[in-house]
Amino acid sequence: MAKTFKDTLKDAGISMDLESGGHAPDYLVEREIKKEPHERIKYLKEIYMDALSSINNEFPYWYTREYLKHDNEMPVVRRAMALKAGFSHLTPAIFPRELLTVRKGPFFRGSFPMPWLTESFFVTQGDALYQESVKRGSASAGEHSKFGAGGGNVTESFGNVVSVAGKFGVRQEEVPVMVKLAHMWKDKSVEDISNTYEQMVPGYDIKEKIMRSVICMFDSGFTLPQGREVINYYYPLQYGFDSILRIAQEKMDEVAGNADGDGMVGMNRLYNYHAVKLVIEGVQTWIENYALEAQRLSSVTQDKTQSKEYDEMADRLFYIAHYQPRTFIEALQLTEIIHIAVVNEDAISGMSVGRLGQVLYPWFEQDIAAGRITEDLVIELLEQDRVMKTSIDPFASTGVVGGVLSGNSFNTLSVGGVNSNGDSAVNRLEYLILQAAARNAMPQSTIALHYDEKLPEDFLMLAMDVIKTGAGYPAFMNNDIAEQFMFKQYGAEGMTVAESRAWSIGGCLETQPGCWKTLTLNGKQYEIPGGACQPTSVGIHFVAMPKVLELTLFNGVDQRTKEQVYPAHNREFLAYDDVWDQFKQYWQLTCRVLERCNNLQHDIWRKNNMAIFNSMLKPDCLDSGHLINELGYRYNATYNVESCGTANFVNSMAALKKHVFDDHSYTLAEIKLAIQDNFGFKTAHEINSFSLADQQKRDAGETTYDQMHFDLLQAPKYGNDDPYVDQILKTWEDWFCSDCHNYKSLYGLPMYACQISVSTHGAQGSATMATPDGRLSGTTYADASMSAYPGTDRNGPFALMSSATVWDHSNSQNSQLNIKIHPSAIKGTEGSRKLLELIRAYMRKGGFHVQFNVVDTKILRDAQANPGNYRDLMVRVAGFTQYWVEIGKSVQDELIARTEYEGF
Amino acid sequence: MDKLTYRDTRDYVAIDVDKGIDHRTGQLVHADAVAPEGYAVLPKCKHCKHYQQDEGTVGKCMADEQEFIAYGDMAAITCRDYTQV
Repeated sequence: MAKTFKDTLKDAGISMDLESGGHAPDYLVEREIKKEPHERIKYLKEIYMDALSSINNEFPYWYTREYLKHDNEMPVVRRAMALKAGFSHLTPAIFPRELLTVRKGPFFRGSFPMPWLTESFFVTQGDALYQESVKRGSASAGEHSKFGAGGGNVTESFGNVVSVAGKFGVRQEEVPVMVKLAHMWKDKSVEDISNTYEQMVPGYDIKEKIMRSVICMFDSGFTLPQGREVINYYYPLQYGFDSILRIAQEKMDEVAGNADGDGMVGMNRLYNYHAVKLVIEGVQTWIENYALEAQRLSSVTQDKTQSKEYDEMADRLFYIAHYQPRTFIEALQLTEIIHIAVVNEDAISGMSVGRLGQVLYPWFEQDIAAGRITEDLVIELLEQDRVMKTSIDPFASTGVVGGVLSGNSFNTLSVGGVNSNGDSAVNRLEYLILQAAARNAMPQSTIALHYDEKLPEDFLMLAMDVIKTGAGYPAFMNNDIAEQFMFKQYGAEGMTVAESRAWSIGGCLETQPGCWKTLTLNGKQYEIPGGACQPTSVGIHFVAMPKVLELTLFNGVDQRTKEQVYPAHNREFLAYDDVWDQFKQYWQLTCRVLERCNNLQHDIWRKNNMAIFNSMLKPDCLDSGHLINELGYRYNATYNVESCGTANFVNSMAALKKHVFDDHSYTLAEIKLAIQDNFGFKTAHEINSFSLADQQKRDAGETTYDQMHFDLLQAPKYGNDDPYVDQILKTWEDWFCSDCHNYKSLYGLPMYACQISVSTHGAQGSATMATPDGRLSGTTYADASMSAYPGTDRNGPFALMSSATVWDHSNSQNSQLNIKIHPSAIKGTEGSRKLLELIRAYMRKGGFHVQFNVVDTKILRDAQANPGNYRDLMVRVAGFTQYWVEIGKSVQDELIARTEYEGF
Repeated sequence: MDKLTYRDTRDYVAIDVDKGIDHRTGQLVHADAVAPEGYAVLPKCKHCKHYQQDEGTVGKCMADEQEFIAYGDMAAITCRDYTQV
């Protein structure tokens, strides 16, 4: 049998199944804490577990039909009319036993394409999809009974269902019109118009080569133009929609024909307020359609209890379609509606909930005091909230939804943190949120705990219990570091000390500025936080550091495609600093061209596809009359530069430094030959497996590069508190965080560093040749930005944390450290305390984020072999939790390979 | 009248493109299975007087002055112009 990479690593003293701090038992160890949701939620959760991701034409049909009618209108009003038509025509889908309702489309897990953003997939695949739909029409009954594999993913067509991009299912009856609608947007979509103007950017050809080589993961302007931000529920919760309509009308009267000294966009306020009114009217109709459906169901339902619940649901919906909510359940229902309205308005991943427990606390406090609700019912409702949030499927391209997001929607909920005075913001409702998250463990909303020394100990210990369920949450984020970052990035836009404390996590772990607003309920005033900034799913997205290094070493040529991506540098690297210098030049060239092209994409987006409903929610658009596209948000400097592959890059630089420039063990030319030869291994693509462990030698007798490979693998590795390599990390971080400020968004504001990998370490690793650290061609990078490469962190978690904190994390929007722990390592109360102390140690050193996978690796292996037995197994990937069966194999392999801590 | 499939009835809510729940019985059912007799018809374009079938599954909606593409299978519960044939 061919020698595997795993064997080679073992020879080098690196175990891919590394157990650190002891040995795991030979038998499978389950997670220590297991909880069950309420019976009602179990029923709804079972529906979710069996639900396929489904799309249909309803929203895009009515949007397109209305849009095409109004070519005489102002762009913002025209879009508002189209959105109103889309919302007004959504078919309500209410399921038995649910207390909260409203969903994206007429399915439990529905979504829909937005061809006004991007239509190329349907245009180019149109014939194939059409043929498939015809074929589906004559499919056999046997096929019909087959449900898609991979959780809710429709990976193959079956019965009358056509698979779209291996993810979504669409009825064959819908396909011809879906394709025709896409054609109506050809040359009009954000994607197509952007493409026209992008080509005017000097260096556009380089940008295209960068995308082909997967140095950059995706264009942000027409894939997910919004998201990774925190929503703001304040205005509807405070005023109700009818009052917002009245405010908008009063503002229209005030601003009509009045520029107010702003000759550029002052006049636009009239159209903007008009647009806001139209979209709200559409949303109100949508809510009332649900109310009417609940009423209808009540009239036809025989079960009296169910009928009463439908009546109560109808009453709540009719009321909150117009007015401020009266009760906790109405307030929670309204936040569900607002949330789905925003993600229906645009293609969004990472519309995060923010500090929901603090937002809803006024209703909770007053209902509990009045005896209108019990804590048990609140937990049940919060459990259903998790079903609803997990059912949200973003629709974007395959590369984005699959390659980047692993199908995740990142509706992150934040708990903890401090209030505007700097005191702990934890309240009783947040305890219940954690309890509901433990009882109904589902990927959404994943939970971010804003750690501060002032948080109550029992709250933190409850968080340890939730972590021990294996749900992968809460993740811990450092409140102090986040506040420091807020000041650095948003000080120029007027950030105050008090307001810096209103931050929340948007997306995986993107630090977002927020603000405080005063909410009045029954005469009592409360201070509630909410999002106040533009998206951060925008900018220069996921630049692969190991891939840029590959092109640095090979004179700008992609070794996978053999394409000359960058201009040849023709340099001979005589010193270590020469490699750095050239790497930085290519990095900057990459960022510059992506900056300019993405700015154009977003400019087209803001002119034709601007957020209207989301803008209305965000301070201070309703006050100023300017939407997102006219800098109406309080904070606008949110565009960022995202990196990927930090550990492999740093380890590679350390290997080159040691073996080429310090010890002179090998020449750079020799190492380049070895890289081209993949150290004598077949490529991952040749064996069709991206698993680190599975990589095979081409020829067992071929040993040309074995010694070099061994030496490179033995070179100093990040994560061991070794200054030799950690200093390289610090050099990179200091330069990178500073360099990001050189790139400006379309709003003329400086970008900043964002260091998360999501799932790009799988896809970008797949496109990268072997690297000087000994990693092989096509295999997955180390996850996150502060995680070590699997098996290379040999000195325990405290050493890893020391390595991770050699630089100032407040210079970046985030950093990301993922740790895998065996359940037995943190067993019992003592284990919980050890885990909390480990987290505290990292936070006190200045680490920004840490999260844990509490799982026995043997279970992951079994789940990979027998996915059918593990439909509900959840794992933490890189900033998000996902069902194991919905994750691609390359990332599954990486999760298995991560070092497992048995004790510390 | 032809027998109705579940997905053509008002007593069905779709979990996904392939299956859903029969509101009358609470049972999980296939979208294309035949529903029991007496189930209410779901308003769809194909039952509307404004719908004109062209070829295949694609047709036109004639409700507006400006006709627009349509298809018979589209739900019309929320359409103000829906008029059952």
